[in-house]
Amino acid sequence: MIRRLTAAATLGALAAVPAQAQDKTEVLGTYADIALAAYGDSLSTATRLQDAVSALIAQPSAETLEAAKAAWLAARVPYQQTEAFRFGNPIVDDWEGKVNAWPLDEGLIDYVDPSYGGQSDENRYAVLNVIATPSFTLSGQQVDAAQITPALLSDTLQEADSVEANVATGYHAIEFLLWGQDLNGTAPGAGNRPWTDYAAGEACTHGNCDRRGAYLAAASALLVSDLEWMTAQWQGDGAARTALLDNPDAGIIAMLTGMGSLSYGEQAGERMKLGVLLNDPEEEHDCFSDNTHNSHFYDGLGIRNVYLGRYVGVDGTVTSGPALSDLVAAADPQVDAALRGQLDATMARLTELKVAAEGGLSYDMMLARGNDRGEALIMNAVDALVTQTRGIERAVAALNLEQIGFEGSDSLDNPNAVFE
Amino acid sequence: MIKALPIAALCLLPLGAAAGVPEVIARDILPGTAGFAEATQALSEASDRDCTMPAMAAPYGAAFDAWLAIAHLRFGPLEEAGRDRAIAFWPDAKGFTPRMLTGLIADQDPVVATPEGFAEVSVAARGLFALERMLYDPQFAYGPDSYGCALTRAISHDLARMAGAIDTEWRDSQAGLMRDAGAPGNTAYLSPDEAARQLYTALLSGLEFNADGRLGRPLGSFDDPRPERAEARRSERSRRNLVLSLQALHGLARDLAGADIPLTDAAFESAIARAEALEDPSFADAADPSGRLKIEIVQQRVQAVRRAVEGEIGPILGVGAGFNSADGD
Repeated sequence: MIRRLTAAATLGALAAVPAQAQDKTEVLGTYADIALAAYGDSLSTATRLQDAVSALIAQPSAETLEAAKAAWLAARVPYQQTEAFRFGNPIVDDWEGKVNAWPLDEGLIDYVDPSYGGQSDENRYAVLNVIATPSFTLSGQQVDAAQITPALLSDTLQEADSVEANVATGYHAIEFLLWGQDLNGTAPGAGNRPWTDYAAGEACTHGNCDRRGAYLAAASALLVSDLEWMTAQWQGDGAARTALLDNPDAGIIAMLTGMGSLSYGEQAGERMKLGVLLNDPEEEHDCFSDNTHNSHFYDGLGIRNVYLGRYVGVDGTVTSGPALSDLVAAADPQVDAALRGQLDATMARLTELKVAAEGGLSYDMMLARGNDRGEALIMNAVDALVTQTRGIERAVAALNLEQIGFEGSDSLDNPNAVFE
Repeated sequence: MIKALPIAALCLLPLGAAAGVPEVIARDILPGTAGFAEATQALSEASDRDCTMPAMAAPYGAAFDAWLAIAHLRFGPLEEAGRDRAIAFWPDAKGFTPRMLTGLIADQDPVVATPEGFAEVSVAARGLFALERMLYDPQFAYGPDSYGCALTRAISHDLARMAGAIDTEWRDSQAGLMRDAGAPGNTAYLSPDEAARQLYTALLSGLEFNADGRLGRPLGSFDDPRPERAEARRSERSRRNLVLSLQALHGLARDLAGADIPLTDAAFESAIARAEALEDPSFADAADPSGRLKIEIVQQRVQAVRRAVEGEIGPILGVGAGFNSADGD
């Protein structure tokens, strides 16, 4: 949490170019409109996912399971494009863990393969398996889980025992319940959960099919309600929009902070490079469904959307307006041109990754030790993201937004504050 | 960039921006990369003579000490090919290191036989923290002619190889790129400010890593302290690592500023003195109230250093911090 604040705090404070205030407000308006559209699309596609999950539970079959998986994949397209709104907007950061927390110790939720291991130093509840366990002790408290409800997931199980890997809600919990563990290592294939994990009576596999269905329904309902809440924050008088427009300079910094932090520390570092360095097939963002290439692709697109002020919705609706790119171009056309080129280069590299993955070289196969071509695909995208981060820093400097980090600092105004 | 600014704004810009970059390179970085290369070479040679723990303990400690002089420079040669992670894979929240080492040993994986092969191994099974497990975790105890011995040698050789490459790349290219920031054809650093920003970001990120990582992880929360998460607790280096890191960051701060920085000096001295005075070398007392309080005080002092740096050195350099690799979540 503290780490997240760093970039915003140190990049930030006031810019010294008041003449641009009106432009900045317009740019922020476009930004908030894109957020509203993208969270709105995330909500509508999550609602379709919830419908598909209801159909799976009502009529379990291979077909209804596949339909639910397809709905999940579609729901990821707009959601991943919203990730560029993280890191700069506290309201998004405080909320995001409910819907997209990752990585997770999935043994908290359901049965896992013995190769997964047991409880660890870090997580005492890594194999709790709440679906098979109607009553258990959690951090010293007796928990009645006879009924699996949205409240049980969000209030009791999510981040249980203060462990971030105890992810009970959101896209990745649902992904696990639809696909199951991917036990193919770095060989071809995603998770292969049988539809009979949701079957009634004798046909039920792996036990507790009714409780599994209840968990999936609860997680899907929570996803919808969480996205409803976030979409509302970007409406005309929503808190997220208002916070940005109240201080346009801080708002512009929020935009750039989100772009840079997602590009570098999060996507290039945590999500992509670390997986290559660890050679671990579990270190991929969508490890159950093998959809990681798309998660990365749409994250990259979301960053570009923010800069260019343009978002294409899931029904083809285009949201666009005055863009951050315009502001930077007015300050320094070279910096703007370079950054646009870098964002395009990243999308080209992410497209290559996506093409290879869709052609059969899935992301976990790219991670295999000694797979030089797979590694090159990932690392080329990492390098492009790192390069664009330098471009984002140059945009911050060009807009004269960085001189200020120290101006309001305690230690200048009040030297004793340093020793508090 | 400066050309585009009106005169009035120019007057506000501090003089001598980026003046400290060559000094940092000459006084802090190049001696540091050379020291780490030498110490890991000695470790590598020691492992060839006798791979067992009693013979390895001293050169291991010296290599770790040397790493702390440069560990915060997570850009350029350290970032290249993920070397920073391969040298020091910590924190390890998912327990990758013991799992990967167990896998290699169980398979008697022949990948340890060649340097090229071992360089492809997961970073979790390489570097100083993998070596710490081999030397200090009874679970991985080994004898002189065992697979564990071969693995320990492979890790030591690999460290020396990476440290040598880092030293060479700093001398042959990175130092020049940063000294000549803004020169025609230098696409890495388009202005002197960019080189200064890189070092300033490294300074602040290093402080953050000490506060949130080295101190914050074992502290956990008041209700749930996690001393088992202390960095390098098995070799009882947690306190030492903190102190050495703060000393290295203080040197970087002084040379980068190139001017009197009394607030920053005082803040560093206070934090280092408090850190040295911590009683338990591995922060095992993070779980008891009085030990915990002392660790929390050190953490607050490190955060105070950060504020001092932002207030005092930021204006001297005229740059803000860039993005750092820990900005994700």
